[in-house]
Order: sequence, then structure tokens, then C-alpha cells
Amino acid sequence: MSAPTVTVTREQAEDFLYQEAMLLDEWHLDAWLALFEEGGTFEVPTTDYQGWDRTGGGFFVLDDWDLLKARVKRLKSRKAHAENPHSRTHRMVTNVRVIRGKDGIELKANFLINRFRDHTHHTYVGRYHHDVALNEDGELKFLHRRAYLEHELLEPGARLSFIL
Amino acid sequence: MTQTIAEGLVETGHGGLIAQDWNALTFRVNREAYRSAEVFQAERERIWGHSWLYLGHETEIPKKNDYKVRTLGGKPLIFVRGGDGVVRAFLNSCPHRGTVVCRDESGNARNFQCFYHAWTFNSSGKLSALPGDDAYAELDRFKGSMDLRPVAKLDIHEGFVFVSFDPDVPPLLEHLGEAADVLSMAAEQSATGMTTLPGIQRYGVKGNWKLAVENAMDGYHFSPTHNTFVGYLRETGFAVTDDDQYAYDLGNGHSMLVLTGHNGRLGMLWEPRFGEAEKARTEANRKAMAQRLGQERADTIGDASRILFVWPNLLFFDLEALTIRQLEPVAPGRTDVRAWQYVPTDEDDEARAMRLKTMTSFVGPGGLATPDDIEAYEAVQRGIEASKGDSRGFNDWSDMSRGMEREAKGEKGRSIDEGAMRSFWRHWDQSLGKVPGVTATSYEGGNE
Repeated sequence: MSAPTVTVTREQAEDFLYQEAMLLDEWHLDAWLALFEEGGTFEVPTTDYQGWDRTGGGFFVLDDWDLLKARVKRLKSRKAHAENPHSRTHRMVTNVRVIRGKDGIELKANFLINRFRDHTHHTYVGRYHHDVALNEDGELKFLHRRAYLEHELLEPGARLSFIL
Repeated sequence: MTQTIAEGLVETGHGGLIAQDWNALTFRVNREAYRSAEVFQAERERIWGHSWLYLGHETEIPKKNDYKVRTLGGKPLIFVRGGDGVVRAFLNSCPHRGTVVCRDESGNARNFQCFYHAWTFNSSGKLSALPGDDAYAELDRFKGSMDLRPVAKLDIHEGFVFVSFDPDVPPLLEHLGEAADVLSMAAEQSATGMTTLPGIQRYGVKGNWKLAVENAMDGYHFSPTHNTFVGYLRETGFAVTDDDQYAYDLGNGHSMLVLTGHNGRLGMLWEPRFGEAEKARTEANRKAMAQRLGQERADTIGDASRILFVWPNLLFFDLEALTIRQLEPVAPGRTDVRAWQYVPTDEDDEARAMRLKTMTSFVGPGGLATPDDIEAYEAVQRGIEASKGDSRGFNDWSDMSRGMEREAKGEKGRSIDEGAMRSFWRHWDQSLGKVPGVTATSYEGGNE
């Protein structure tokens, strides 16, 4: 028996990504982590990314599930000095597409994140490419969350101490 | 109490930016050293213009005609393996009118053509074509004088490529001194050799380059600054300790921390978060290393983590995994950083994935630790404005006295002392000499 066809509409995908953006902008990190399936991963490759996998080259973020939980725990601590006080972030998510591949559902989108801290402003521009699944309750969950930067490099002060 | 210059105060240099007092056992650096445009310019000329500088690793350009462009000491360069297989570095500037010849970041090219007047140079730097060459007198001689300009010196140690803009620098191995063997110890970790991976962490920091050196040579900050990372290590079953960890002055401005209680090392020292498969791999690897290099050398390489600073722009981290980090000062309060993963060529996919994950979890602007380091030196750069021009003596001096008493007695410096920073600053002072137009706030006369 073949698996039932799962359909995700663009509206569902947009709601999911917009909700995520709100949770991150408001620093509700536990609620954000709950958007992942247990065992999920999070990746941000370096700015010279040429398509390598987790064995092929450098990343800025290469979290497995344990590290992802550690990252959230760290960011909630006042000892996460790089984010104490927290950055103010303001996210725009656009160009959302739902792609049904043979291995499941992919969500693709563009992002633009404005970040303010220490009286300075940085803009992060890039693409999201997430593998997602629908759980038994019909909720979308991240399996593999990926953020690709369009930047040539991270300009001074633009470290990735928050969630991209 | 009014402090006067103690008898033991040593003029370490000529700029008056360092105050070293062997009687009071204090060591201080005037904060103009991080802020002043004159100091920055003097560093460019006297340090960057006359030292060996780390350019890159040979494995970044493995094939004939592979190239990378890179800026060192503000000078754009082309780092290229010629058609003859020889590694060279050229000024990325057309000998004709100065245009940047190569405007791609990297690639493979037999020729570089300047787009402005279409002068063409081969990957060995030779001028191969010059449009409208009939208008030049003594054409052959003229053409022969117009090859791409190489850097004054280039030499390679264990694949690490260094260049200098000064033709009169001492030989590379003489400059590297004891640091050479530390790089060799890293290179010897795999029987099949080590390589850099693509995927360079390129990021800028709003802080002076010397703060990045200090931070790497400063074991004292590890526990407070990296509280959240230490917490993560503890949770994964590793007991972090500062005991039995030492700092070494390797001469010529180079220094090193040797760490045993920092964390585990992939393929060398197992810790629980690496998992059971890695445990077996580590045992097999250590055995093979002992057979290949002898037990003593294998133990020296395998038993301790090292953070090496090679004057003035290379930081080499032989920690849980290996990272090459290059510093490029851009302005007094701005530094560009480039970091590479340095890995054994013969690693299987599972081990490599573990290595990259482990490395990335700690280092880099998105890791669980480096962002706090960056925050620290950016916070220093902002904070030292507070005491600028302050006439009350000590206020405008940063303190690096920790462990000076041990140093005065000739004891081995601890990694949580500030001895490696002091040796860096002494060499800096010696290299820089007096900088015209820069006066440090007087060391005396203030309240301590």
C-alpha cells in the first residue's frame, strides 16, 4: 500500500514561516524549538557555499538535535554574552514556495532580517530551504532547517549569535 | 596613594605604550595601542611590511592554475599555482596602470586578463599578450619588464604558505623557530596528509587585531566568557579544568597555550559527546600514530590541545578539531578574519561529519563560543573610549599583570596567567618602536 498523498498549501507554508518569524523576533525560543520534529537539524553554510553536504566543507552553524537544544538553552541564559542584551530582529519572509519532492515536502523562501544591537544595524539577506513533515495532528514541523546567506562575507559586527 | 615610577620600571620599548614594572610586578598596555590611527599606520609599515605573513595553505590551490585572491596588510594579492605546479603570490595589480587584474574570488585559470587594456598574464605571472604592442620601443625588453609583480618572498612550511613584502626578512624557518614544529605536529596527525576544506568562515570584527591575539592567548577568560559552552561540555560528560595547562613564549613574537583539560580531541583524545564509534577510531588512530612516529612523538602530538599564535597574523587551533585562522587588520577598530577547517585527508564520512559538527559547535561567528569572544573584544574596543585622554595616570592603561610574580621567579607560566599576552606585547613594542605623534597618558601620577 502506498503512503497517502500529503498536500501542503502555500497558505499553510506561509502561516508556518510567518509564525516562526514572529516567535524568533519575540525571542520565544522554546516555542520555536517546538516547531522541530525531535531529531531535527539546523544548518547555515559559509558565505562561499558551493553545495557541499555535512562532510564537505565549512559551516557557520551545523547543529544536530543535541546542539540545537544546547543553542536554545544557551540563548536563554544571561551568560550568552553575545546576545545579552538580546538583539532586536525584524524578519521579512517572502517568495514562499512548496515543493513536493520524492523525499518529502520542501519549503523554500527568501528572508531579510534586520538586526539592531549596540546602536548599529545589520541586514541579513538569504534563502530558506527547509525539509518539513506534517505530524499526526496535521502540524508542519522542521526536519532539516537551512538558512543560506547571499552575503560575500559577514561584515564587521554581523556575527550570527542569534537564530538566522 | 600617589604612585611614582618604581625603580624597576623597564622601558621595554620606545613608544611608551607599555609599562612593565618588575618591582611592583605589574604589566600595562596603554589603550592608545588599540585606538590610534598613527599606531595602526605604523603597524602596517613596520610589522605588516616587514614580517613573514601567513597567506594560505597549499591545499587551497591543489591543481595547476588554481587561484585565490586574498588581501594581506591591505594589499590585494593573487595566490596561485602556476601551470608549472609552483605556488606563487603576485600583487593583484596590473603592472601597466595598477588595475586589479583578477576580480574573481577564486577559480582555475591559465591566464589573468586585465579588463582595462586587455594585458594578459599567464598563471605563472608572465605577460603573454599586450594589444597594440607595435607602439612600444624595444618591445621584447619592455614586455620582459611587465610581468605580474611577485611578493618579495614566499616560502612554505608543511603546506603553510608565508609571504613577505620585505626581501630582507630572515629565512622562514628561522622566523618560525619553535613554532615550526608545532605546525609539523599538526601536519603529522594523518599518515595520508592534511588538507584545508572549502567553506571559509569570513567575518569582520569591530575590534583591534591585537585584541583577537590576546583573546586566543588568554586562558583566564575561558570559564567566565564561555560559561554556556562549558555548561554544554559538562552536560555531555566532560569535566573541564584549568589545571596543568601552560603558556609558552616561543620567541619572535610567537606564543602558545598547551591545554589538557579544555576538552577532547577528535582522533586523539576521546570524550563522551564524540560517541562510541569515535572511541574505537581514536584507539586505532593512536596506535597507528605510535607505529608511524614512535610512541613519544605520538604522545606529544596526541595528548594535549594547543593554541598557537604565529606572529603576526596566524592563529592555529589544535583543539577538539583543527582550525587555521588568519587576521587582517583593516582599521584600528576593525579586523577581518578568515578561518579554515584543517582535516586529515583519509577520514571517512562519519568521522568527518563529526569533526565538522564539533568544530562548528565551538568556533566561528555562529558557534556556541566564538560569538562571546567577539562580543568581548568588541566590548573592549567600545569601552576603552571611556578613558581616552584621561590625565589621571593609570586610567588609560589595560592591565596584564596576572601571573607576573610566577614569571619573575622563572616559573612555568599557567594558561590562565597573562604571560603569553605579555610576550606578545613585548615583541610588538620591539617591532614597532616609537610612533611619532602618539603619546601615552602618563603611567605615573594617578591613583591605583
